[in-house]
Amino acid sequence: MTAITVRDLHKSYARFEAVRGIDLDVADGEVFCLLGPNGAGKTTTVEILEGYRRATSGVVRVLGHDPAAAGPGMYDRIGIVLQQCGVQDDLSVGELLDMYASYYTRPRPIDEVIELVELDAKRGARAKTLSGGQRRRLDLALALVGDPDLIFLDEPTTGFDPSARRHAWSTVKTLCSLGKTVFLTTHFMDEAQALADRVAVMVGGRVVAAGTPDDLGGRDRAPTRIRFELPDGVGAADLPDLGTSRVSATPTGVEVVTSEGMAVVNRLSGWALERDHDLAGFSLSQPTLEDIYLSLTEDTSSKEAVR
Amino acid sequence: MNEVTVTRAAAPDAIPTPRTAAARRRARRWQLRLAARQVGYEHRSFWRNRSRAFFSFLMPIILLVIAGSVNRGDRITERGNVAFATFFVPGILAYGIITATFANLAASLTLLRDQGVLKRMRGTPLPPWAYMVGRVGSSTLAMLELVAVTLAVGWAAFGTHVRGSTLPGLALALVAGMVCFTALGIGATTVIPNADAAQPVTTALVLPLTFISGIFFVPERLPAWLNQVAGAFPIKRLADALQFAYDPRTGGAGIAGHDLVVLALWTAAGVALMRSFRWESNRP
Repeated sequence: MTAITVRDLHKSYARFEAVRGIDLDVADGEVFCLLGPNGAGKTTTVEILEGYRRATSGVVRVLGHDPAAAGPGMYDRIGIVLQQCGVQDDLSVGELLDMYASYYTRPRPIDEVIELVELDAKRGARAKTLSGGQRRRLDLALALVGDPDLIFLDEPTTGFDPSARRHAWSTVKTLCSLGKTVFLTTHFMDEAQALADRVAVMVGGRVVAAGTPDDLGGRDRAPTRIRFELPDGVGAADLPDLGTSRVSATPTGVEVVTSEGMAVVNRLSGWALERDHDLAGFSLSQPTLEDIYLSLTEDTSSKEAVR
Repeated sequence: MNEVTVTRAAAPDAIPTPRTAAARRRARRWQLRLAARQVGYEHRSFWRNRSRAFFSFLMPIILLVIAGSVNRGDRITERGNVAFATFFVPGILAYGIITATFANLAASLTLLRDQGVLKRMRGTPLPPWAYMVGRVGSSTLAMLELVAVTLAVGWAAFGTHVRGSTLPGLALALVAGMVCFTALGIGATTVIPNADAAQPVTTALVLPLTFISGIFFVPERLPAWLNQVAGAFPIKRLADALQFAYDPRTGGAGIAGHDLVVLALWTAAGVALMRSFRWESNRP
């Protein structure tokens, strides 16, 4: 069963097209991450899914509802954490949770929610006295209090220090262990890597790649890069036959790019041992998600610039 | 795109839109209960926000005590030699209705809009109308509390009584004033750009009009043209209608028909403005 379906979604504002025809499928129970630089159209997309904005065209279904026409039925089953959003400042944490819980047909026990976001000590504190991090945790608590099936998190860790981010990540992992579907937007690659079951990279209003963090952009099939230095008097021409590999000189040695990493490593080490060469600085690397992300976003932004 | 399938306990997709008449009635009853509870939460917030409570609630009472004391013993010859308090207490009632509904709603709604609270509320199952019932219920409660305190202070400090025979006129004027200034308060948020502008805008609208609307100064002592200008606006009409019910010379039920008609027209203007009510700030 799919939690979210999006087909050919477009959203135009007066002067520009923020979303230019995207398709998304989010399965029940997965953590889906919409990754992209600022201004890519992520927030516009998530706010259409949440029912805050109307699509210009396209089909959108969230838990079977059309968000543009959604009423209490849809909002009863989703939880929303918006970017920077205030709360009734003069009420306490406990009162706020009571109040928001009263809106839902099957709320989660308040004690449980307070414990989950670790605000037990702040239960009686007025919302206006909370620190920034505590406020974000309250945001999450208010999104969870209705025990939603689907949770939207729009850039949940922007402005967090590294330890607060780790903490937020573990909370998201708790959510998915509870069987929740999570729709997350972020511009941090490590966040997508750490949390997402599947990632869609959005740039300039389009989805330019989609997949799991491991196979995104063909990362799993990307060639292995082997680098090492050669001893004095030995040149690249002296290397054994390395099949279809591409060999090139680097300032300090040689780089071999190959799709048959293991075979090439085996042949190279045999050759070096036989001749008693020490291949200094021998290293082997696979492109990181960051490499893939940067190449995807750079490609697209240069294309956008030409347009 | 590859689908990741996860098996887990089947949760109902969402509460279905009620189809039968009975289910619709149940849903409506549930929402009405939510709206009623929301009034309680909103009113708790109102009293905890000290500066708002001061401007919307204490200010009229302070003015009543000060001006009532300064003019104690004065009689208004133009109005059948009534005591100043008989003129001033209904005027303060009018002023209080305006601060408790119009100024209170305009300031709180623009602030909640800027803070994103209104947007957050739209993302919950609480229907938008039920939330507005909560806000309006709180401002109406504040107004009723203020009316009660004003009447009590007027009686205890200045010996002003509500007349039994004109009670229908008084009640009708209070309700008409509440409805009119509630509509105008919500409507005003559509032209007030942000919370910072709310207090200056409402003060700029209310204060000058209050001075020419026969609340602090007896209208008979003002130039005729000024009274005519003020008569086009709802503040003077509300003050008039309330003073009419207090005036010992008034016969019958004390209903000021002309004033109520003008209030109704301003209510319609407020409702027209309300139609472009925004739940989100225009600020980026």
